[in-house]
Amino acid sequence: MRGGLRGLTDRILGRGQAALTVPPLDGAWKPNTRLEDAPQGYASAAPHSLVLRGGEPLWASGAQVLGRAGPVLTAPAEVTALALSPDDQLAVAAVGAGVQIGEARPEALRALGCVTGLAFDAAGGLWISAGSTVNPFPAWSRDFLEQRRSGQLWHYAEGQLRLVAEGLGWPWGLLVEGDGVILSESWEKRLVHFDKAGRSQVLVADLPGYPAGLARGGSGGTWLALFAPRSPLWELVLREPKYRREMMEEVPPAFWIAPALASGRHFSEPMQGGALKQMGQLKPWAPSLSGGLVVEFNAAWTPVRSLHSRAGGRRHGITALGQHGETLWLASTGGDEIVAVSLTEEGQDATGH
Amino acid sequence: MAQAGTLTRLRYRFIPDHLIGEILSKKWIDNAIPFLVLVGVVLAFGALLPNFWSGGNLSMTARQLGEFALVCLAMTIVIIVGGIDLSVGSNFALGNFLALAFLNLAGWPLWVTVPAVVLICGSVGLINGVLIGYLRLRAFLTTLVTLIIVRAVVDMLLLKYAQAMSLSFYDNPWWDLMGMGHILGLPFSFALLLVVAVVGHILLTRSRPGWRIMAIGGSRRSAHNIGLPVKGLVCAAYTISGMLCGLAGLLYAARLSGAGSDTGMGLEVMALTAAVLGGNSLGGGRGSVVKAMIGAVIVLVMTNGVLRLGLNSGSGQMVLGLTLMAAVFIDVRWLKNRDKLLNKVYVSPTLVELPAPMKVGEGAFALNDRLGEAEIIGLGAVESPEDVILDAADNLYCGTRHGDIVRFFPPDYTRHEVFAHIGGSPLGMAFDAAGNLVVCVGGMGLYQVSPGGEVRRLTDETNRSPFSIVDDSRLRLADDCDITADGKIWFSEATVRYEMHDWPVDALESRGNGRIVCYDPATGKTRTMARGLIFPNGICTAQDGQSILFAESWACRIRRLWTHGPKAGQIETVLDRLPGYPDNINRASDGTYWCAIMGMRSPALDVALRNPGFRRRMSRLIAPDQWLYPNLNIGCVIRFNEAGEVLETLWDQGAKNHPMITSMREHKGWLYLGGITNNRIGRVRLPAADPNWAGPADYWGPKA
Repeated sequence: MRGGLRGLTDRILGRGQAALTVPPLDGAWKPNTRLEDAPQGYASAAPHSLVLRGGEPLWASGAQVLGRAGPVLTAPAEVTALALSPDDQLAVAAVGAGVQIGEARPEALRALGCVTGLAFDAAGGLWISAGSTVNPFPAWSRDFLEQRRSGQLWHYAEGQLRLVAEGLGWPWGLLVEGDGVILSESWEKRLVHFDKAGRSQVLVADLPGYPAGLARGGSGGTWLALFAPRSPLWELVLREPKYRREMMEEVPPAFWIAPALASGRHFSEPMQGGALKQMGQLKPWAPSLSGGLVVEFNAAWTPVRSLHSRAGGRRHGITALGQHGETLWLASTGGDEIVAVSLTEEGQDATGH
Repeated sequence: MAQAGTLTRLRYRFIPDHLIGEILSKKWIDNAIPFLVLVGVVLAFGALLPNFWSGGNLSMTARQLGEFALVCLAMTIVIIVGGIDLSVGSNFALGNFLALAFLNLAGWPLWVTVPAVVLICGSVGLINGVLIGYLRLRAFLTTLVTLIIVRAVVDMLLLKYAQAMSLSFYDNPWWDLMGMGHILGLPFSFALLLVVAVVGHILLTRSRPGWRIMAIGGSRRSAHNIGLPVKGLVCAAYTISGMLCGLAGLLYAARLSGAGSDTGMGLEVMALTAAVLGGNSLGGGRGSVVKAMIGAVIVLVMTNGVLRLGLNSGSGQMVLGLTLMAAVFIDVRWLKNRDKLLNKVYVSPTLVELPAPMKVGEGAFALNDRLGEAEIIGLGAVESPEDVILDAADNLYCGTRHGDIVRFFPPDYTRHEVFAHIGGSPLGMAFDAAGNLVVCVGGMGLYQVSPGGEVRRLTDETNRSPFSIVDDSRLRLADDCDITADGKIWFSEATVRYEMHDWPVDALESRGNGRIVCYDPATGKTRTMARGLIFPNGICTAQDGQSILFAESWACRIRRLWTHGPKAGQIETVLDRLPGYPDNINRASDGTYWCAIMGMRSPALDVALRNPGFRRRMSRLIAPDQWLYPNLNIGCVIRFNEAGEVLETLWDQGAKNHPMITSMREHKGWLYLGGITNNRIGRVRLPAADPNWAGPADYWGPKA
């Protein structure tokens, strides 16, 4: 009752859940150009789902799993998620083909659709996140505009697939933590911890971007890739059912007002006022459909540093990442590039040396 | 493509949302609430009191109003200048007593008495004025002291002369006229009040001292800083206040011929209530005669009404007190929120159903990057060259946002100079037959620069639209111009609702806010020739000289206005369904026309155009930087002919050098490009164009 009343007053007064404001990029989130300044990486068409095998990155691109040396594996359809088991087996999820672990294709995992994340726990069990039960993986921006909360979290162990949680807003990245798993819930802009019984605990809420891949950081911390920035315009569009419906009906998905992995490539894309080039320059603070942003949290879930590629930059749409030693590997899906960022230099920059 | 419903169409066609904002932006809207209260009070007491509407009652009330409203005016003028006058009641009593004393006891004639009373009461005001204006004493305390002293003086005089006064009686037809007579059927005091009010209103709103008094009330320090004679004007305001009190006292004396110790008692509170109730701000600087009159009627009707309803003695004061409290409360809230309300409702997007655009990427709209290799001129030397033009000697001219006209010299255009400084934002340009440069200047109007660089204003206003709420006679955003063979200058004013830098808000509205105006140098007259156009932008005289072509940017079409011949005044569409927003139009060497496309239609925006409610909420809820714009980060120029066929398209797809091209000009085989958000001019070679063709010669013959 009270919640309903709160919801109503919020909608009338435009605050709380109904507010259109987005969190500012302050403190550790302060914008920089570190992602943009990183040396040239490896070109690959829309790479995603990056995992590290002995420090070497493997990533998915289309139906292939690639390494720096070349293709490692070809899946029957477009790959949507990868994971590496403790005994070095590669788990691969592909559109319409479920999940295969090594050469095996467990019967229980055949029917899984829209798999967005895979993660093995220490015992060899596999955590699986499914973004949506309504929309397939490539239609994620439709899932966003429809405001679906149909994502699922599964746990697969000893041939048994068990539903741990459902009704999630597009769960994407997974990171095993103790007996449970940390999950990035994109449409809710938050990180949640689930244990095997499905009990959840919100770790970070109200992120300034839409979270995707997670990875273990160097000293007990966690890296998070945010595939797109948030924008008041999208928050507004989400509150406009008629406009949203008509836009989805008439406009090709590439030109929707929705988060994107890359932008500024076509003149039919929606443009926001601040993004108009002035005196030959696109301002770095300009509102943009896409952006590149990764952030490191410490063990207490306080952000400690972030790496940015701002409006007009190349390395947008970071969906997956992994740290090995002092190198952070990033899959820039929007920038068609695998980027390696040296964190020692970053550390020196951060301390001012 | 989905369609808006019939109901939606009718609603946006016939309900003029934009007028609400325009009404709210008028100054007189401040009177709306007091006026409604007035109507309410009059109706309420008219219903409660049996003979309220009878002639006798109305005449009596009008006569009382004549006296009371003069006192209210006295209070108002002091409040407007930022002070307060508590001594109006005692001063009124003094005027009343003096009038009777001079006529009855001293035996002075009427024509001496009237000025004498007014002057003596004025001198009481003068004392207030000197103390407050020159010696900077507090208005409240000073006039409180005057209130007590003058009241004491009146009481002492009454003690001495009251008996003698009550025995004698002054008889004079003029005096009777003042007290009981009528002028043109109106009670004398009411007629006098009307005269005073009209004169006062004109003085306050249309004269220099009036404006200055307003300015002082608004901010005494600022008024002092800009050099206004603050002290003298403050003093004068109190003096006038005193004189009006004296006049009111005279009328009272003529009506009742009696002086008592309770004459004018509590009048200052009633006058203050009336002034504030009418909407005059106690802080000063905001008030008018009309407000004072409205307040006076409310208070008088209420006090009389309460009295006649037979309520017990304190209740009249109680009603007055409560009303005053409500008035002050509403006044404060209104002042605080008026601008907020105006900001919220002024922007009123309308329903726009653009037809599906022509397909881009094929045929005449085939993609290329011909503008990507443009040769750059004046990089960093010019900012916002909205339009570019070349003269017969190949000099290149452009305007800048600093208000300069910059001239680049041939052959390589690396050297430049400031040719003239106009101010404002120079936009569209054209050369006339004598080689003068005619320039549309955003925020200023239409200007002319002679070949020697002398700047002359041609016009900055046009005839006001009939029935428009806001005065739209000033030119706000003269955008582009061209000249017909008879020398008349035709120019577009893109919008009458917004200043130049608010053009994105006009895009958001997409209403027909613009017009085409014609200035005739022969007569010096400026006339609006077409209105209700959707951001009319580029103007180009057609090759036949009988019509002008103009671009309606937010409607994505190019139309023709016949200026001569049998169809003069008619508008017809030449080119519709453009995939982008057309800007300036200029002639090409082969009899066709160039048109700059400042940006492309994005499909998401097309849907938004059909959803005015969405756009309105967008304008209210999120910052302009976040608004959905047309996609302007693209460089595009098209060439079309009068049959409405697009012949070719030149692109800068990556918008490396030329995002948002607002103008282009062909000259001797080159196409020169300008952009209002850019810091450079570009030129590309046109291999197929006539290498000897130049604009001035095409317009005015080879001699030019």
